[in-house]
Amino acid sequence: MATVTPTEATRAGVAPRWRLRVLGSARVPDRLALAALALVLLVAIFGPFFEPHNPRLAAGLPFQSPNGAFPFGTDDAGRDMLSAGLSGLQLTMLSGIAIVGVGLLIGGTVGLIAGSAGGLLDSVLMRITDLFLALPAPVLAIAVVAAFGPSLFHTLIAISIFWWPYYARLIRAEVKAFAARPHMEAVRLARVSRARRLLRHLLPGAIPTAIVAASLDIGAAITLLASLSFLGLGAQPPTPELGSLTAQGFANLQTGWWLAVIPGVLVFVVVLVANLAGDAIRDILERR
Amino acid sequence: MTAPTSAREHVAEVVDLHVELTRERVSLPVLRGIDLSIERGEIVGLVGESGSGKSVLGLTMLGLLPEEARPVVHGSVRIDGTEITTASAAALRDFHRHRVGAIFQDPMTSLDPTMRIGKQMLEVADSTAQVISLLKEVGVPDPARRVNSYPHELSGGLRQRVMIAIAIAGSPRLIIADEPTTALDVTVQAQILELFARLREELTCSFVLITHDLAVASQIADRIFVLYGGRVAEIGPTSELLAAPAHPYTSALLRSRLDEEADKQFMLPTLSGEPPDPRSLPPGCPFAPRCQFGEPACETELPGLLLKGDRGNACRRSDEIDLNGSASARQRWPADASVDLSTAVVEARSVEFVAAASGVFRKRSAVRILYGVDLTVGSGESIALVGESGCGKTTFLRAVASLVKPTGGSLVVSDPTPQMIFQDAGSSLTPWLSVGEIITDRLRGARMSAEARRERMLETLALVGLPEWIASQRPGRISGGQRQRVAIARAIAVPPQILLCDEPTSALDASVAASVLNLLGDLRRKLGMALLFVTHDLGVARLVADRMAVMYLGRIVEIGDAEEVLRNPRHPYTQSLIASIPRPGGARARVTGEPPSLFNPPAGCAFQPRCPSAVPACSQRRPNLASSGNGAHLVDCVLEERL
Repeated sequence: MATVTPTEATRAGVAPRWRLRVLGSARVPDRLALAALALVLLVAIFGPFFEPHNPRLAAGLPFQSPNGAFPFGTDDAGRDMLSAGLSGLQLTMLSGIAIVGVGLLIGGTVGLIAGSAGGLLDSVLMRITDLFLALPAPVLAIAVVAAFGPSLFHTLIAISIFWWPYYARLIRAEVKAFAARPHMEAVRLARVSRARRLLRHLLPGAIPTAIVAASLDIGAAITLLASLSFLGLGAQPPTPELGSLTAQGFANLQTGWWLAVIPGVLVFVVVLVANLAGDAIRDILERR
Repeated sequence: MTAPTSAREHVAEVVDLHVELTRERVSLPVLRGIDLSIERGEIVGLVGESGSGKSVLGLTMLGLLPEEARPVVHGSVRIDGTEITTASAAALRDFHRHRVGAIFQDPMTSLDPTMRIGKQMLEVADSTAQVISLLKEVGVPDPARRVNSYPHELSGGLRQRVMIAIAIAGSPRLIIADEPTTALDVTVQAQILELFARLREELTCSFVLITHDLAVASQIADRIFVLYGGRVAEIGPTSELLAAPAHPYTSALLRSRLDEEADKQFMLPTLSGEPPDPRSLPPGCPFAPRCQFGEPACETELPGLLLKGDRGNACRRSDEIDLNGSASARQRWPADASVDLSTAVVEARSVEFVAAASGVFRKRSAVRILYGVDLTVGSGESIALVGESGCGKTTFLRAVASLVKPTGGSLVVSDPTPQMIFQDAGSSLTPWLSVGEIITDRLRGARMSAEARRERMLETLALVGLPEWIASQRPGRISGGQRQRVAIARAIAVPPQILLCDEPTSALDASVAASVLNLLGDLRRKLGMALLFVTHDLGVARLVADRMAVMYLGRIVEIGDAEEVLRNPRHPYTQSLIASIPRPGGARARVTGEPPSLFNPPAGCAFQPRCPSAVPACSQRRPNLASSGNGAHLVDCVLEERL
């Protein structure tokens, strides 16, 4: 501590660096939740590399119940459900993260501008936000799919349009609270440039709240995406998405119960882990 | 170890009290062996800096230690026959209702904001008639009407009086007041302290006055306990303790006091370092790391309290050291201030400021904060703006910093980048950046390489007396005094022509504040900066300022040489401010009431309703600023015009 290297003290960087330090003092249940999230993420990212079969092609006889060769059984076309589940997990998980990420990016930008500018610009941006908040997600998704044809990508766009306004409001409120702190006046008197004041002295204050909200929301985003796909408004067969896999399995519930139950349970596990981890992150950041 | 228990009746008896509290899952020893006894009708002052344990001692005596801190209490606290440490919940309830009264710093948090005063007080009083007589007892004017007020409709001083009325309602034998006057203006503080002294006579109850300010305690306390690091450092009857302190800490506190007698040619004598942190208490005497008389044994042996009659102290060497000798070793300012009054840094001509108040249910009404302020700050000059809350001193400072725009008059500041130091240093620093980043951000405008910026940042840190390792710390991880030094470092990284200070020491412990004031005085002389210093504390103003401007309700009512204004105040308001400074033996509360509401300013002279020497003309017209004695001393008073 006694000596400081030049880079340490003058390094630019927006991210508050207390995040990793507080992890060390986290409670055991919080650590377990974060470990579970890490495990699910690892499986979601690298799972498809270990698929025993191509999830889009038949690998054996149809309607095989779970057995040694096919631990999760096969579907009506003889495709391996383990491989389909792994690919679906990846697609669903990453789509959920993408929705929240895009939402944070758009919402964060709008919120930062509105919260720091105030006045007319603030009012205009927030009324536009209110407009988007009034859109019902399923109706919007149906409209987009009707206009552009059903595909996972179109559904993602529809959900993202519906998702960002929450973050805009949240981050605007945080930014406004920090903008009223004397340190913003102090850096203004110190002639720090406007962009730097916003990105370095104001925005990082909203990051903990944004992280907490986003981590709690990933589960909700996954649920919404899977629900829309289940209704046929998202990924289309044979794209292995957990929602559409469940829907397909539902059609064959009497011949193969596992076809609907396995992807359904996967959605359940992923959302549960995401919510527990979100709670853990909130505990850690807000206990600071 | 307790004081000799003669025939005198003891209302409270604390014996070898140890209290541990849990903070952030670490158990901290907050009190480490306190002995204390309070006689009937006695006022005892508990004086200590932050972390001394004074408030925890108060809460322990009240039986109100917070459950979530998982208090571990050893020892005995016996108050009026009740053993608090082992009392049952029912016994504690009875104790709170009839034996003890509590007064805290902020009455707004203790009073229920949704309940009228009269109704709240019925919880401790039997009838509305009794409520009214209680309010009358504590000096609330027009009590029959006040019982229908909500707490927010009362001024801070009146709220505190209501709290006192609640505290005395059960005719307690002991009242514990924790910083009861800290949030109040100095003229109101004098009134409240006088009220305590009067109640003690009338009710023959005892008071424990917990305060960070030795002067406040010395005004009404019979005996003073000085706490340091969770232990008693010194006990004594007030006058003896002030006249001849026996513990080096008490002596240092007294010397760093900003009184009217201190010689301005010298820097304030200060203590190095800061009060000890309960997380890392030294094994020996808690004061040893800051003590100039320390010897190796002080660092390892925890000294006990040595009692001699009424007095006692916890210094191993109190018999051998000469505390008065050390007082003579005072340091002169290393340089003289270079004041050039012919060039003005700030030129204010009848500066006005009207704030637009807005409310959803109220009609929009504007509130006038500055009524035409004239002030010229010469190059290198130091001016103190003194006044109570709401007088507009901070608004004027913010106008000079161009943080608010005056709505009238002309304000010319020749420095394009005046710098400002805020009251709460912590909130003026970006919490997620390191100290080094905060300071180098000030240097970004200049064409400097990253290396040069870093070089300059480290030089500046050295200039404000901070070690180099602070550069990598975030503001939350350093102490309050260090944070204020960081704020000063950022302000002078590029030396401004004028440094604006908004009560920079009022949130600091006395021993730390003195060294920050020394630093400001030193930097001002070294860098040739002008200083515009806002404070409510006349002692601070006298020390830092060449000239002093006293403000009341948006106007400068008296301005002149700082020494001259203090020694020969002309305006009745200045006179009452000076009389209200807490001092041993009692300040004289010369004025009644509190500063008027900005929404409803009085006619004529703003001070006229409170003025002890008002004449009919005062309420009819505004006075003109008249010069008194030499031309530089101006007074805004009708009486002065006649002379």
